[in-house]
Amino acid sequence: MTTPAQRSALMAGYRMLDLSDEKGMLCGKIFADMGAEVIKVERPGGDPVRALPPFYHDEPNPEKSLFWFAYNAGKKSVTLDLTTADGRAVFQDLVKVSDFVLESFPVGYLESLELGYAALSRLNPRIILTSLTPFGDTGPGWNQQADDVVLWATGGMMALMGERDRPPVRMNLLQSYFHAGAEAAVGTMTAHYPRELTGEGQHVIVNMQACIVWTLMNEQAYPILHGNSVQRNGVFVGSEGMRQRTVFPCKDGQITLLLAGGPLAFSLRAFVKWMDEKRMAPQWMVEKDWSQWGPATFMNAKGEEVQKEIDAIEAAVTAFLMTMTKAEIYAEALKRRILLAPVATVADITASEQLAARNFFVPIVHEDLGATLSYPGPFAKLSITPLAVAGRAPHIGEHNSEVYGGTLGYSKEKLLALRAVGAI
Amino acid sequence: MTRRYAFEGIKVADFAWVGVGPITTKYLADHGATVIRIESHTRPDVLRLAPPWRDGQPGLNRSQFFASFNTSKYGITLDLSKPAAQELARKLVAWADVAVESFTPKAMRNWGIDYEQLRRVNPRLIMLSTCQQGQTGPHALYPGFGQLMASLSGYYHISGWPDREPAPPYGAYTDFIAPRFAATVLMAALDYRRRTGIGQYIDLAQYEAALHFLTPALLDYQVNGRVLGREGNRSFRSAPHGAYRCQGDERWLALSVSNDAQWQGLLAVLRNPSWGADPRFATQSGRLEHCDELDRLVEAWTVQQEAETAADLLQRAGVPAGVVQNCLDLHQDPRLEAWGMFQYLEHQEMGPSPYEGHQFHLSKTPGELRWAAPVLGQHNEYVFKDILGLSPEEITRLTEEKVIY
Repeated sequence: MTTPAQRSALMAGYRMLDLSDEKGMLCGKIFADMGAEVIKVERPGGDPVRALPPFYHDEPNPEKSLFWFAYNAGKKSVTLDLTTADGRAVFQDLVKVSDFVLESFPVGYLESLELGYAALSRLNPRIILTSLTPFGDTGPGWNQQADDVVLWATGGMMALMGERDRPPVRMNLLQSYFHAGAEAAVGTMTAHYPRELTGEGQHVIVNMQACIVWTLMNEQAYPILHGNSVQRNGVFVGSEGMRQRTVFPCKDGQITLLLAGGPLAFSLRAFVKWMDEKRMAPQWMVEKDWSQWGPATFMNAKGEEVQKEIDAIEAAVTAFLMTMTKAEIYAEALKRRILLAPVATVADITASEQLAARNFFVPIVHEDLGATLSYPGPFAKLSITPLAVAGRAPHIGEHNSEVYGGTLGYSKEKLLALRAVGAI
Repeated sequence: MTRRYAFEGIKVADFAWVGVGPITTKYLADHGATVIRIESHTRPDVLRLAPPWRDGQPGLNRSQFFASFNTSKYGITLDLSKPAAQELARKLVAWADVAVESFTPKAMRNWGIDYEQLRRVNPRLIMLSTCQQGQTGPHALYPGFGQLMASLSGYYHISGWPDREPAPPYGAYTDFIAPRFAATVLMAALDYRRRTGIGQYIDLAQYEAALHFLTPALLDYQVNGRVLGREGNRSFRSAPHGAYRCQGDERWLALSVSNDAQWQGLLAVLRNPSWGADPRFATQSGRLEHCDELDRLVEAWTVQQEAETAADLLQRAGVPAGVVQNCLDLHQDPRLEAWGMFQYLEHQEMGPSPYEGHQFHLSKTPGELRWAAPVLGQHNEYVFKDILGLSPEEITRLTEEKVIY
């Protein structure tokens, strides 16, 4: 029986077993937001991801990891020891009544437990197994290890980030895992659609290195098509020996601003007009034809002269921006349709009037903490089946009774016996 | 019943342009859907005007930037500012299961082809609108592009060194986040419609989708007042951790040690140097505390090594490691080659050019790059004649009137 609320959810009635660690949990979270029943399968004692910072009030505690909260909100939790035969038997029962299994173990680990795709599909031909792998499940990298920094490096993004006088650098916060986790959701849905027509599930392999290569915005093609490639250069972009800033300092931080003419000249003209109104635009900038200013012009110009002009423009722009805060600059840019953005911090994002107007952040009750936290809400607004963060992340094994007793119909005696042998 | 492709039979009217929209529909196209890109000479997709170009030479049909995001699609031209073109667009939507657009809100309404009007010609329609900040709210109409969104949604601030300006990610970072969410929810809406017969409208703000890669930091600020910043290559749990200079010009090795076993593996590869026995490095917490010194010691070894060889040795010893690969390295990476990461497709004007393969593989209904991106208007005849049933005379007239243009 489904409740009206469940009927109105996009993926109501589907069940996912989430065995993944920090590399894949965003996939499960996306499915939970879409209304699927997502059961996090934790090892007895709790998932290692519960040890990841930051923590609620900075108290390291497996029930207080904000990282865990973030990517397990709306899921259920059961504990299960897959390394025991009893635990595996319970898992097999779960697979029989589930639609999806998500995992990010080392390649071959599930097979070693006789729980690989072939085994799972014998139990349930409809099952879709989604595996996150660093470098694919076959080929020369199948057994290589990678964490976030190695994926950022081997996927090509790290070489493009940083300053010339320092090593290549990564982005904070385990970004490569989130790319892979979200991509796993696409792969899983791509397998789901035909499964509902044919009754046949399949194995989805996500290649995390490939997920980073895709973020390079085609940079891979430059050496082949242009015979050159971009090198990391901090906030600067360059072509034909010239370099231009993309980020400028202001009173309380930085502003991202691409000073490009051509098709974006409307924005540059509006910006110079604003400078002029504040009597901070040099006369030659007011008179300049910005439609003719940009990479195309640079190609036919003498590098040194253009660089001198770029430097002069940037000096004037910096002096102007330094008189204002990020918020003041952005508010005015919105009115004047000038293309720029603050280098926003989480504090700026939390204060965004746009996000507030769209009710993006949603309150989630943590009754055990006596607190209500505000979470990023649905990633899309749907007219018929709204997405929703269904609730806080589960405690360790919070749903053991509900899932094992209810969904699987195990007797109290059986549950006690499984607990006694440490399987759950 | 077997199927070759996951989405064969699904029909998509793709009004989107630039990054997020076309990347979203590419998933469907590469998995068998019939996706028709509606473009126009009057306002070409800006990616057609952006490099990399074949042989470095600009041209509307020479941009690999455009080509990469538009494989397996059909391309037609319609000047949507003309009523006759709007009528054809509505006909196409009546034929389609899905419509996708990525303009600033208002554009579709001005052309008379927003969801309210399109649902009348196709009540079962699923329509996805994706723009920077969403269809509603005070900033809805503010235009922008991926670099600005990456800055606005916090990713510039957390990239680089704490004592310097940000070192932003390359390119339009969030353009590679939002489509993962957009494609997932679009596919789920298709499945919901299969079950219920009900279509719907989806408003996906690229800003909101992108913030899901930042959730722990947003919670940390709220609960602990901490503003996540730049931390260079520091890690909260791994040391040594980062990029280390190797032999040669700009060759770097990334490695990461998160536990005692990996530490022992690293020391074995370094042939157990005397500093390996330093009690300060005996525990993971000790190594984290003394990470600066560890970085110097590790780099003293890496500068004498070839990056590829060192990565290989470390991997064999169980240490996560890899070369900081530049774009040429990517094309020579045997792992990516085995995966099929780069594929050369024959394009009508560009000839064979390197396209990216997929990020996931399916065991039974694998997708593929079915064909290269269309040149502008490549499939006008096929679509207007065979799909919409126009006569050759009508097509000629509409072409002369620059409706089909």
